[in-house]
Order: sequence, then C-alpha cells, then structure tokens
Amino acid sequence: MIKVWRVALHEYRRHVLNRRFVLGLISVPILIIAMVGLVFLVIAMDTDTKPIGYVDHSGLLANPVPPPPVVKPDRSIEMRPFSDEAAARSALDAGQIQAYYILSEDYRISGSLSVVHIAALKSSSSSQFYKYLAANMLVGKDPVLANRLVNGATVTVQSADGSRQISGDDWFSILFPMIAGIAFIIAMFTAGGYLMQAVVEEKENRTMEVIITSVSANQFMAGKILADIAIGLTQILAWAIFVAVTILFSRSSLTFLNSIQIPARTALLMVVILFPAFVMVAALMATIGATVAEAREGQQIVGLISLPLWIPYMLTGLMIGSPNSPVVIALSLFPLTAPLTMLVRDSMTIIPVWQIVASAGVTILGAVGSVWLAGRAFRLGMLRYGKRLAWRELFTRQGATS
Amino acid sequence: MKKIALVLVNEIITVITRPSFWLAAVGIPLIGAVIFGIAGIINRNAGTAATVSQIVTGPQDIRPQGYVDLSGIIRAIPGTVPASTFEAFSDESTARLALMKGEISAFYIVPADYVQKGSILYIRPDFNPLATSGDQSGLFQWVLQVNLAGGDMALANLVKGPQHVQDNSLAPIAQPDENNVLAFWAPYAVTLIFYFLIMGSASLLLSSITKEKENRIMEILLTSVTPRQLLTGKILGLGIVGFGQTLLWVGTVVILMNLSGRAFKLPSAISFPPSFLWWGLVFFLLGYAVYASLMAGLGALAPNLREASQVTFVIMLPLIIPLFFSSTVFMQDPNGPIATGFSLFPLSAPVAMMARLSAGGVPWWHPVLAAILLAGTTVITVRAVANMFRAQALVSGQSIKAKTFFKALLGRI
Repeated sequence: MIKVWRVALHEYRRHVLNRRFVLGLISVPILIIAMVGLVFLVIAMDTDTKPIGYVDHSGLLANPVPPPPVVKPDRSIEMRPFSDEAAARSALDAGQIQAYYILSEDYRISGSLSVVHIAALKSSSSSQFYKYLAANMLVGKDPVLANRLVNGATVTVQSADGSRQISGDDWFSILFPMIAGIAFIIAMFTAGGYLMQAVVEEKENRTMEVIITSVSANQFMAGKILADIAIGLTQILAWAIFVAVTILFSRSSLTFLNSIQIPARTALLMVVILFPAFVMVAALMATIGATVAEAREGQQIVGLISLPLWIPYMLTGLMIGSPNSPVVIALSLFPLTAPLTMLVRDSMTIIPVWQIVASAGVTILGAVGSVWLAGRAFRLGMLRYGKRLAWRELFTRQGATS
Repeated sequence: MKKIALVLVNEIITVITRPSFWLAAVGIPLIGAVIFGIAGIINRNAGTAATVSQIVTGPQDIRPQGYVDLSGIIRAIPGTVPASTFEAFSDESTARLALMKGEISAFYIVPADYVQKGSILYIRPDFNPLATSGDQSGLFQWVLQVNLAGGDMALANLVKGPQHVQDNSLAPIAQPDENNVLAFWAPYAVTLIFYFLIMGSASLLLSSITKEKENRIMEILLTSVTPRQLLTGKILGLGIVGFGQTLLWVGTVVILMNLSGRAFKLPSAISFPPSFLWWGLVFFLLGYAVYASLMAGLGALAPNLREASQVTFVIMLPLIIPLFFSSTVFMQDPNGPIATGFSLFPLSAPVAMMARLSAGGVPWWHPVLAAILLAGTTVITVRAVANMFRAQALVSGQSIKAKTFFKALLGRI
C-alpha cells in the first residue's frame, strides 16, 4: 500500500507543481472574465442614444405620457414627435434622429406601424419605443393593472409533491448542473491526458523497466489512477474557489447570485455518477497509454472516448425540451454518456429513482471494468516497445498467460 | 526548382498513401451521405417520421391543463383558444385530484394578489422549468392578459408591442436581413469554413515537419536541399492536397444536394457574386501560405508534436478572434470600423474579409488592399521561416515556448 501512495504522490507532484498546470488553471477564469467583458462591450455597442422620431396618424400619442424609466445598462432615448413624414425624413437625413416610426390611423386595432431607418435599429432602441407606445395605450387605466399588463406574469414551476420549485427567470439554477458537468469533463480529460502521457513517456524512455523492478503492475496502476483523480479534484477545487470568491465579491452588485444554492440532490448525483465516471475515464486513459506505442497515436484514440462524453452536450436542446424521452433515458443508462445527461436532466425534471440507481450502477460497473482492463493492458503492454497492443489480445486468455 | 518539385511530389505521395487521409477524405462525406440518406427516408415516409420523433422527443401530451383562479380575473376564455385546452377548477384540492387521476397534465394557480404581485404557480408532475415559456403556458398567460384588459384582445396584444412592423431601409446598400436566417448566418458560416480550411491544411504541415524532425530524416534531407526549397515544396505540396480534399468535400455536398432534389435554393439575399469565388480562392491560398509557413516554423522549433500543439493556439489567435466577433460585428455592421480593421490586418484578413464579402457592400479597393498586404506578409513570413530552418534550430531538442517562436521569427535567436 505504501508503494501505491508513493507512486501517486510522485505523479501528483510532477503534474501539479508545474508551471504549465498552474497556467492552465488560471487561463480558465481569465477566459471567463474576458467573455463577460465581451458581453458588456457588445451591450454597450448595441445602444444608440440619438432620439427616435415618430409620425402619429392614429392620435394615440396626441398628448403623450412619458415613457417608463429604463433599466440599466440601457440608456434612455428621447422620443421626438414630427408633424409629417417629410419633416421626419429631413431630420433623419440630417442625422438628428436614428430612425422614425409611422403609426397608421387604425393602430389601436390593427397594430401595424412602419419604421424608416438608415442603419438597422438596435433592439434596445425599438423596445424602448414599444414600451412608450404601451404606456400610452394604457392611459386612464388603474396604474397597478397597467403595470401588470405591461410586465405580464412570472411563472414559478412546482413539482406535484411540492418538493421542488423554480422560477423561469432563475436561469442560474437551471444551468448550474450542466456547467458543473462540463467542468468535470474538462478536468477529467486534462487529468486523464496527463496520466496517458506519463505512461507513454515512461514507456518511451524506458523508465518503466526500472520502476517495475520494485513495484507491481497493479500497485503502479492504482497509484497512477489515484494521482489522476487527485489532480482532477485539485483543478475543480481551484475553479470552485474562484467561483466562490467571485460570488462573495460581487454579491452586492449582482443580486441574483444570492439565490444560488446547490441542492443536496445534485450533490448526491455528482458523487454517485461523476465520481465513478472520473475513475472510468482515468482507467481508460491509462489503458490507452499502455497499449499504444507513442503519444501521438494515443491522442487519436482519446478522441474516440471523448466523443460519447460530449454527445449529451451536443443534444442539450433535446434534453432540455424533452428530458424524459426514450433517447435521453437511453443516454443516461450508457456509462460514457451518463454523467452529463443525468446532470442536465436533473435540473429539467424529476428523475425516477430507478433510473438514478441504474445509471449509477452502470457507471460504477464501467469504472470497475475499465480499472480491470487497465491493469491487464498494463501487464501485457508495459514492456512492449514500438508495437501496439492489439485490442484482441486484451480480451483473449492467451494474452494473459504470455 | 527541380528539387522543389521533388519535395512537392514526395509530400503529396506520403500524404495520400496514408490510410488516415482517405479515412478523412472519404469517410466524412460518407458519413454525411448516410445521415442525409436516412433523413431522406424518414422524411419520405410519414409513419417512420412519427415513430422517430416519438423515440427522440417522447410522446406528445394532448391532455388539457387545469387552472385555479383565486383572483377572479379569468371571466371567460377567449374564443380563439381551442376548446378543452384549459379546464377551470374551484380549488386546489380538486385540481390535484384531477392531476392524480391523469385527467389534466398540469395546472396553474393564480393567487388572489396576482394583479399586485404578478406571480403564478404552475404545478407540473415532470417539473420542467423551461415549460414556462412553452406554447401552452404562453397561451395561458395570454388568456390572463386578455381578461385583465377586460376582454380587449387588441389591447392585450398591443401592450407587448406592435403586431406588424413594416421595415423601410434607406441604406444605399442592402443591410443583412435579420429575419432571413440564412442570409444572416452566411458571414458566420463563411468565417467558420475558412477558418477550418486554413487551419486544417496548415496543421498538416506542422505534423509533417515535426515527424521528420523527430526521426531525424530532416538532417539528412538538409544535406541535399536548401531550407527554402524544402519549405516551398512542402507548402505547395500540402496546399495541393488540402485544396483537393476541400474540392472533394464541396463536390460531395453539391452532388448530395442535387440528388435529394433540393439543389441550392438559397434565397436571393445570399446568392454570392462570382467575384466572391475568386476572392475566396485568393484569400484561401494566401492565408494558407502565411499560416502554413508559421506552422512550419513552429514545427522546426518544437522538439515534438505534443509540445508544438500547445503553441498552435497562440499562432492561430488572429484567425480565431474574428470568429468570436462574427456573431456581433460581422453580421450587424459588416462595414463598420472594427470589421474593416480586422479585414485589412493581414493575419486576420483571410477569415474577416471573406465574412465581409459574404455580407456585401464592401468597397472594391478593400479586398484588393487586403490581398496586397496579405501577399506582402506571405513573402516576409516564408523568408523568416526559411531562416528558422537553419540547422541550429533543427537539431536542438529544447522545449518550445511562444516567446521562443516569435524571437526566432524576428531572427533574434
């Protein structure tokens, strides 16, 4: 047992206390911050504060009430009336207004209007004009009623037993399991990639021969897989700390962050499905490392494993729309697709208990199977240089005794 | 010249005799054809289509939904709503009973203070939070709105905005039409396609050079050809292969489209002018030459492919950045300052200029200027990279960093 720990510790130190690992760790938060910055930039670019003109033939805006106050980050736009289209057109040509609307005589009934512009109107501008129109449609109504008509309803979904409840605006809770799943898969592959490289490298530079004189193949493999899991968890922990710190500092400005909580159910799902999946991927990576002759070849085979893991990501639309369809249930019962599928479904629906048990069982079986496979591949392939281990050999009896 | 030809022919033969090349060249169109064929069969046969959609999305729920109106707002369901879409219940317990019996698929509770607070509760056994924006739920919210407006359907609709908007653009050139999905996404698709074309062909060069370096063939080769001859031969040879592969793929797509009877019926808004094709060729070739030689330089410096691929990202960055912006800048403002800047800057020009050309309205001298600038850059990079090939860089086994790469490119190593 002490040897297993020694291998694991060496492997962990070698990869984590490394500039490349630290850089990789930091690059993810930096990328996220850059993305958020880009979004704000786009919003800032999307606002045009020149006045919007209008020509009203319907009489709706004869004695207009001012538009409702705008919500940040939008900026308020002046609405400027024109007596006829010619005047509005010349103001547009002179660049005094960004566009003008023409309300038809029967606007109150038909709801049709036309807009004249040079550059297409930004969506934030047109929505401000529509809110202005709505405010004037409701003149004379009870303000509470008018407010409800403009803003509509907020629907909160509740499960039949009342145990879970979520509002449609609460997008973070909906997205959280999926983001967690994706982070897990990324960590899984980075750590697994290190593991595979290490095995191939030790094979290539013949260190393996020396190591194997003092450690058994199983101890060696167990140590490597343990280290792999530890590396992955380090990565996830670092990201989690980053997220937690961000939330702590921006709590006051971003109020929606206050409602974030990770339900025990999701946490349980992570333990029973993501953890075995982690072990499975690590073991598969080690298997690949032990069977291939050089690192490049390994990379191509890794693609084969990573594809099924990402299939649920590509089918997100389907899983969100119909989380209980036969295809989605099938995906949650296949070991490689189960992790992400189950996490996405978890936020979208109530997963029947039998499916959770079956999915976890299949994933755990997959993990045990691949650890067995890794040990075997390692015994057979560790001293084979320059020649790939055929998959056939892995499963035949003859291979084991040779 | 003869030696360049030798390198070129050898390079082409090496690549096309590799099984993995044919796997990609034939396999990808084949997969496309199979998917296309299956989709065609499914579409032709209505029964199969229904079965497939049952398996993929699950059975449709056509049961009515219930509602418990504690606020007394809902006096009548508007006549335009199909009968038996919604069923009224006097209190929550009877609604729950109906839900348990399976008579209704879900139900809403409109609380007494709805007008003040605006929240309604939606009880669904399958608990799907995104169902709140679904068709049936949207319809229920509309029913509430109409009743709040005192049965005035026009008012209930108009508070959300006008019903018909006629759009008159005075712009001298056609603006991308946001309603025409295909035309709107054309610049994005073009950017993506050019990115993959250039990157795919350029990385062929990287793997070819690192491989020859790793097994020390490079050192022997350099005894009989000059670095520039080797580089030129490789760039040309792999360029021809990459271009041939692209033609094969495009050809398959055209044939498939024709076979399935829906030949390119793209809306007139994106029927590209013939000059688009020529510019496409020019920018692909020049862009390929620049990036292929950069990749070759990387291959010359890096000890092995694994280390090289870590720096690839930095080199490809100028091509990737326009991709990030494509959804905002190139679609909405293809002739604005940012898009123009990207399309004239040589390293991002191959992708950015094609995106702008596909959106239309580019002054004629912009692509000409960009092409000239890009051609100049090509000459400079090929020269710089040929210098990198000097034996000193080739034999060393030290690991590669982005800094080393740029230093070598500027001839400071």
